[in-house]
Amino acid sequence: MSQPDEPTTGGTERRIGVYICHCGGNISDYVDVEAVREALKDEPGVVVSESPVFACSDGTQHDMIDDIRAQHLDGLVVASCSPKLHQVTFRNVAKRADLNQYAYTQVNVREQDSWAHQHDRAGATEKAIGLVRAGVAKTRLSDPLEPLRIDTVPSALVVGGGVAGLRAAIGLADLGIQAVVVEREATLGGWVGRLGATFPDDTSGADEIAGLVEQIKARRDITVYTSAELTGKSGTFGNYAAELTLHRDDGDKVLTVGVGAIIVATGFDSYLPDVGEFGYGIDGVVTLPEFKELVDAAPSGQLSYAGRRVRSIAYVYCVGSRQPAGGNEYCSKYCCTATIHASLQVARLDASVRQYHLYRDIRAYGRNELLYNSSREAGSTYLKFADDQPPAVAKLAGGGLGVTVTDLLTESRELTIPVDLVVLVTGMVPRENAGLTAVLKLPVGSDGFFNEIHPKLRPVETVVDGVMIAGCCQSPRTVGESVAAGLAAVAQSAALLKKGYAELEPLVATVDPARCIGSGECLTSCPYDAITRIEWDGRSIASVDPATCKGCGGCVPACGQDAIDLLGYTDAQMRAAIEGLIAAEPVKEAVS
Amino acid sequence: MTAVVNPNLITDLQRFGGTDINACFSCGNCTAICPLTDNDAMFPRRLIRLAQVGLGDELVGSKELWTCYGCGMCTDRCPQEADPAEFMGTARQYAIAHYDRSGIARLMNTRPVLGALFATAMGLLFAVFFTTISRHQNPDVLRLFEFIPYEVVHTTGIVVMALVAVFSLLGIGFLARDIARRDGITREQLFGSAEARRRTAKALWYALGIESLGQKRYREDCQDDQPVEPLYRRRWLIHSLTLWGFLGLLAATTLDYGLDILGIKATGTPVPIWYPVRLLGTVAGLALMYGVTWFMIRRRERAGQPGGRSRPTDWLFLWLLWLSGLTGFLIEAALYVEPVQTWAYWVFLAHVAVAMELCLFLPFTKFAHAMYRPVALFFYGVERERSAASA
Repeated sequence: MSQPDEPTTGGTERRIGVYICHCGGNISDYVDVEAVREALKDEPGVVVSESPVFACSDGTQHDMIDDIRAQHLDGLVVASCSPKLHQVTFRNVAKRADLNQYAYTQVNVREQDSWAHQHDRAGATEKAIGLVRAGVAKTRLSDPLEPLRIDTVPSALVVGGGVAGLRAAIGLADLGIQAVVVEREATLGGWVGRLGATFPDDTSGADEIAGLVEQIKARRDITVYTSAELTGKSGTFGNYAAELTLHRDDGDKVLTVGVGAIIVATGFDSYLPDVGEFGYGIDGVVTLPEFKELVDAAPSGQLSYAGRRVRSIAYVYCVGSRQPAGGNEYCSKYCCTATIHASLQVARLDASVRQYHLYRDIRAYGRNELLYNSSREAGSTYLKFADDQPPAVAKLAGGGLGVTVTDLLTESRELTIPVDLVVLVTGMVPRENAGLTAVLKLPVGSDGFFNEIHPKLRPVETVVDGVMIAGCCQSPRTVGESVAAGLAAVAQSAALLKKGYAELEPLVATVDPARCIGSGECLTSCPYDAITRIEWDGRSIASVDPATCKGCGGCVPACGQDAIDLLGYTDAQMRAAIEGLIAAEPVKEAVS
Repeated sequence: MTAVVNPNLITDLQRFGGTDINACFSCGNCTAICPLTDNDAMFPRRLIRLAQVGLGDELVGSKELWTCYGCGMCTDRCPQEADPAEFMGTARQYAIAHYDRSGIARLMNTRPVLGALFATAMGLLFAVFFTTISRHQNPDVLRLFEFIPYEVVHTTGIVVMALVAVFSLLGIGFLARDIARRDGITREQLFGSAEARRRTAKALWYALGIESLGQKRYREDCQDDQPVEPLYRRRWLIHSLTLWGFLGLLAATTLDYGLDILGIKATGTPVPIWYPVRLLGTVAGLALMYGVTWFMIRRRERAGQPGGRSRPTDWLFLWLLWLSGLTGFLIEAALYVEPVQTWAYWVFLAHVAVAMELCLFLPFTKFAHAMYRPVALFFYGVERERSAASA
């Protein structure tokens, strides 16, 4: 079947190179690579067909570049592995040979063929021929595309005025990027701002925040709004219009700032135990933040709780962390060291206080191990309980609190420790941020924390262009790690904003104005709000903002007029690819 | 059954010595290196753990405490420098104080100055008492019992022995009760049947014969001196000589008293050196002096090193032993020297006072190990017999 709008640029006029990779034996053990090459070599437009052992090897890449130049190729097809692995590799090959990188098509004959059909060589070979023919057909109709160039404004919004956000703001300003900080609370500093001595170096959290605030005051490039929230975002990546709502005594005020990037550093909430959970609710049972406040405020020489002298303390670790499936399964990472550090503070206040640490595993990692050693030397006793035998906290008949634990280090004996204070070492939970999540369309993981693109290689970027995450809104971490993440977000923001422009994939939807009848059907299909109505030639039609479009293709089938095409995957290309795929003849002689 | 811990135990223990078991992280190297470790004797780690968490009753009622000979290999191997050997010594003193209901042992350990004053005062009290009742110093012949009447020495001795017996039996009884309770040993299991009685007898022989007198494991298992000590100053040898010397002197004194009762030889009568009782006393005295002197030298040598800390009652015990031995030999020498050495009367008085104090302090000083160790060893023997029977 032929379409009336079949482009005439395709067909035999194209000069395409096809490379079918052996991938060592990953492909050639199950697919007759030579048969595939044979089947493809006379396809219309194919002028080079090779079957390298490793297409991605340096030598083959050079051969491809030589072929492209010598044969004046205008299309490139590599049938190898998943594009997730090597699309960038071969796009770069095309670029180096001065071929438009979007004239390259990767055909996946490994994950989607050879590995999947290891017991059907004939079938796998037939499928490979179909897949490669489809790739060639699609490439024949490819148009040269250029990355979209977006101008960016040199300013960034920092959501959250905790330690990570404040340090990030300073980092942005130092790079010449205007920073706007919005803090929901009336005061800056978040959790750290309320802390006294913090690990690992005993500096006061409050002092550190005060120092950051001083530095911010000294910089003209930073604007801070407290009692303020980000309530809306419009515009495109590189030039967002952020709507801030300032909660003021005389009512809310709305303000719009133009920012190129957004760094989300909204922090965490401390786990709040249920009443009765490890005795929470009983007088003398406190959470880690409550305890820390008590210790920070204690006068030298003694520790008191509710007017009573504290002579013995039991710490119950992993409260609200590392729960069974369905709960908070993650480790909150900071609490072991924070508790050990607080216990050392107590030992300095009053060395006679007996401190029992009831733990599952002590994760005072890295140098924090030394704090753990110091705490033992300062007299802390550590008792290890099994996951399925958690300690129980109760009031003792004779007054005071009793913590009953089966200690694996004391022959798994059940011990009852009479103490004055029980500290539940509560971990971190994601903060309630539904509004912000909706405004920024932030991806939220199953644990409730925000998700990065890649945990190792793209640790602060999100799938929303220009929106970075840093600190404990992403996952539990220490102050140092949060600040490091904040500065990583600064560096990533600078990478986006310092050039003054950004390049985006051009594989986006386009509307053919001539065909669009302005039905509006596509408007609701876009999850990114990239489609708007414009006036064109006296008519109201749809228009796609290429900077906002993610190229998902959701709008293409929504259009009853076939007026929307996805560049790189046009209807014509996809039709041709399907034709190529189903045209494959069964392979009989290839069975070995 | 949940055990309620005593959060103050570790603080209390530290009053008995510089033991720093907070550093211990329960790795168990000490247990691995300990030559006495057995399937049912996991120490010192287990005992350190009991102290750390605050299970004081279990700690003092642990028979392992008393089977240890303090070789110090655990301290050499401890990666945390927690000095387990020092802990074991301290814990034994703590147990001695625990089972001494008079509080004297606790005083002597936890208040060294007061303890020293008390020990000196007791010694002086004896001296003053004997001086007060002392009579005639015969200038022609050394007649010691004319100076201090034999009956007075004898009666004082009986009173001291009775006091010691009361404290000791109480301590032994409580320790035996606690160990039996901990190990789940009932009266029935010890004496309920002929077979049980046979096993009990074997355990008793093991405790008193093989280990207490024979020092078998000390000799065979705890040969640990690094570098290897020459035989003449090996720990098990000097310990055995001290022990046998002491027992020999005890036997000689008892025999002498027996001969007196039987009218064969009045106490105090000069006899030739080969006279059996006298020969026994001399040889035993030499052995005691040899052993105690080496103990004192070794203790001085180890001072300041890991495991080398001495508690006041360690030294008090050694000094009392050494002084009673030295004064005994001086008297013996004086008996055979012409002309009469009148200083010997005062040496005799000192000897009696020191010996009385030595005996009187048995339940309170390190000396108490002589009564507690056999109890623990007995239960260790019972355990062995039971596991042998069930194997």
